[in-house]
Amino acid sequence: MPFLRKAAGFLRNVFLTRRVERDLDLEVRSHLQLLIDENLCAGMSPPEAQRRARMELGGAEQVKQQVREQRLGDSLHSWISDFRFGVRQIYKNPGFTLTVVLTLALSVGANTAIFSLVNALLLKSLPYPHPERMGTIYTRIVGSSAGSDQRHNVNGEQWELLRDNVPALVSAVSGVRTSGVNLKAGSHVEYVQDGRVSAHYFDVLALQPVLGRNFSEDEDRPHGPKALILSYDLWRNVFAADPGILGQTMLLRSEPHTVVGVLPQDSTTPLNADVYTPLQPSREDEGRGTNFRCIIRLRDGSAWQQADAEINRTWLSRSGRYELAGNPGAKVSYHSVPLQKGQTDLLRPQVLGLMVAAGLILLIACANLAGLTLVRMLRRTSEVATRLALGASSWQIQRQFWIENLLLALIGGAAGTGAGFLGLRSLLLLLPEHFLPVSGVPLDARVMTFTLVVSVLTSVLFGMLPALVARRVDLRSSMADRAVARAGSLRLRQTLLAGEVALTVVLLAGSGLLIRSLIHLETLPPGFNPNGLMAAKASLDDVRYHDPAAFRKLLDESTAAMQQIPGVLNAAVGLNLPYEFVGNDWVTLSDGKEAGQQGGADWLYVTPGYFETLQMPLLAGRVFTEADGPNSQHVAVVNQSFARKFYGGSNPVGRYIDKAILIVGEVADVPLSSGLDSIAPLQTEQTMYVPAAQVDDARIATGPLLALLHVWHQPDWIVRTAGPVEGLTGKMQRALAKADPNLPASGFYAMKDLQARTLATQRIEVALLGALAALALLLSAVGIFALIANMVAQRTREIGIRMALGSSLGQLMVHIGRAGVNASLFGVVLGLVLSAGALRVMSSVIYGVGVYDVRTILVVILAIFAVALLATIVPALKIARIDPARTLREE
Amino acid sequence: MPAQPTTLLQGTLDLLILKSLATGELHGLGISRRIQQMTGNTFVVKPGSLFPALHRMEEEGWTSSFWGDSENNRRAKYYRLTKAGRKQLDTESKRWGRISWAIAQALEAS
Repeated sequence: MPFLRKAAGFLRNVFLTRRVERDLDLEVRSHLQLLIDENLCAGMSPPEAQRRARMELGGAEQVKQQVREQRLGDSLHSWISDFRFGVRQIYKNPGFTLTVVLTLALSVGANTAIFSLVNALLLKSLPYPHPERMGTIYTRIVGSSAGSDQRHNVNGEQWELLRDNVPALVSAVSGVRTSGVNLKAGSHVEYVQDGRVSAHYFDVLALQPVLGRNFSEDEDRPHGPKALILSYDLWRNVFAADPGILGQTMLLRSEPHTVVGVLPQDSTTPLNADVYTPLQPSREDEGRGTNFRCIIRLRDGSAWQQADAEINRTWLSRSGRYELAGNPGAKVSYHSVPLQKGQTDLLRPQVLGLMVAAGLILLIACANLAGLTLVRMLRRTSEVATRLALGASSWQIQRQFWIENLLLALIGGAAGTGAGFLGLRSLLLLLPEHFLPVSGVPLDARVMTFTLVVSVLTSVLFGMLPALVARRVDLRSSMADRAVARAGSLRLRQTLLAGEVALTVVLLAGSGLLIRSLIHLETLPPGFNPNGLMAAKASLDDVRYHDPAAFRKLLDESTAAMQQIPGVLNAAVGLNLPYEFVGNDWVTLSDGKEAGQQGGADWLYVTPGYFETLQMPLLAGRVFTEADGPNSQHVAVVNQSFARKFYGGSNPVGRYIDKAILIVGEVADVPLSSGLDSIAPLQTEQTMYVPAAQVDDARIATGPLLALLHVWHQPDWIVRTAGPVEGLTGKMQRALAKADPNLPASGFYAMKDLQARTLATQRIEVALLGALAALALLLSAVGIFALIANMVAQRTREIGIRMALGSSLGQLMVHIGRAGVNASLFGVVLGLVLSAGALRVMSSVIYGVGVYDVRTILVVILAIFAVALLATIVPALKIARIDPARTLREE
Repeated sequence: MPAQPTTLLQGTLDLLILKSLATGELHGLGISRRIQQMTGNTFVVKPGSLFPALHRMEEEGWTSSFWGDSENNRRAKYYRLTKAGRKQLDTESKRWGRISWAIAQALEAS
């Protein structure tokens, strides 16, 4: 019962405040009246009776306050009233509130967006059961010049040993990437991404098909039955979720495949393919090279150490170990790492770098906000002094400021979440499909918590300074010493400004380097004429084209048909185009003093018209002709880098490689995306071209080379046109259909598209860091603007006096603006010092430009000064509107 | 006013208020005057102490209040003891008896 009564009292005090207050007021009034009555009875005159009564009561308001402090729920009550006061303050200063909320929205928004990337890539568990038991295998090479510790693709021998000799694991392999193939079901042809996977692939992922079953071991054996598993989306969108799909036969690569399963809804795999077929891995063909990507799952009851020991035992016993080629004396070992790490290792530095940049933005925002709240705090000095005089404790004053800051932070945080959501949406639109190795980037509970923490932390950071100043407010001197406090606060604000300008310099310099690097990559000398070219890709991963004769016929007929298109000057086919990822192989030099030398070279087949179509300059010898057929002398054309690397720059024409291949020409270098020795995303390196007609046995004596090449690459049909490109793609498709009606083009590209695809990562880096740097610049500008505007407002009187004494507008603007310019100047110097240290970490992601790039630094300095001047001059112009006569009269 | 107000021990005020209400309901000023009378002008309870105590005791459930008319027809808030209040008066009286006996003993000891 007492508890219930207390609860009722508490609720009444908190919620029926007005009624409780009125009751108290009446009671105190009545008490006073009774006292007066008593005094009148005692014979005093009415005024005397009143005076005595008031003396005895001792101040009605104080009595009431004492009762209030006694009440249950009083502390909550005062919190609420502080809160109400805070809301009123926020509402009453729309300019201040808007600046703070916008600043927070932008900075917290940037952090939310970037953190959701970090969350999706590095923190969130993979969407599979027991992700902690999933992994992949890293190869660690030490003791040689090129030490490394990274995920290698594996070859057929490694796969078989892993499958058979490592009982601690369920292991599976897949193709390195999906292959674009044509799926024909009835009369419907669909271009799909085919993920080729081994038997237990879905067991490692712990995915059970919603319909049917996983691949059997029989289906995974070379030349085993051709089976097909559909993704849920394909099953639903193309086959209308037909429950009778199991057992149906479809043509994939023109070969009949039987549907054995459908994956569950919303399931994802590292390949994210539309359909899955058995990889059928072996030591032959594809398995001769490292063309498989492995994933593993720890079996119940086993430990990772045990698995690592088993992997090392079996893989180190191999006779042919490619890891040691060119790495004599190196020590190789293997270890398992979590799949999460394995899949995101390449993106990790970029993502973390962005997170750091976003953190800097937050610091800049905090510095700005601290400056703003400091000014506001100083304006409220008299309010604080009044409250102190009325008996408010220091804690009560502090609490009031903290509540206001917290309110602002929460409003800003909410706005920031919205901004972050929009930012993330546009960021994801910017990314190419399947760019991130995750299925989605959600704004989940963790991101929300992060945003909340960041907002509150921001409020603490920007509220701390004003609160410290508030603590120093001295009742007696608060009126007299304003000027002193102001001078101190100016220095403080200048320091804050210098700090944020310094951080802005770092961000600007960083994004400047990325931009310079991107420009370098985009303006590499192309080595061909990219204008007026249009390319069509089509999948030849098709059993009909495993036969070299059929393949040659297709190329001849289709290029001939494309030549007939009006306006087309030239048409050709090549396995790859400039800017694309190109395959590579080892070559052996066969004659002269270089005989026996070996090295890697990029390798691709082309039709005779390829060089003319691309207009690649011929430097020596000749290009291919129709005469370079399957039965004539095997020939090759090499590029300048090839000649430089293998022949010291002397003329390679007439030399033999791999015993039988005669080099007949040398062409200019073109930039490409290398898998051989990747230094930059686009580079030029040793490349050899062979005639498409000689591919059947030109390089590898055994094995279905054509079939393998077309699993890995989709060849390009390329035309050079003098006319407009409108409608060209339709005509190219029709020309292709003349040669093979079942060969849809998977896509059409201008050369710029291909370049952009290869440089997608760099473009995104530039876009993101550039956006953050621009944000930093904007925030710094706002900071400088606010400082100057505030100084003009505070010193109106001083300016008026100076004007009256004959100062010109220019002199006054210099006088006032100096504060902003000095702070910026100091900030730039500090920023350059910081950059000297911080930018070194960028050396691995910039190409063709040094970390200490004078031009970048000059542009950064100029940009900062331009913005600082602008942000100084605009508010300083207000000085012109000051009327000295009126200002002087005012006080 | 001869009363040199002695600082009231915490709890003493409560006891005095409870005791003043033992004979019937009173308003605030009535309580104040009754205490003055009961203690022979030793304790004068100021409104600044009286009202917080009254409100606290009401929240504790020892007293209840109602608005009534005073002897010369003024609206005033009256307080009276509840059952819990009588019990509290009993407990407090016994405790005070023990304390005052103990203090007297201590002062008499030489």
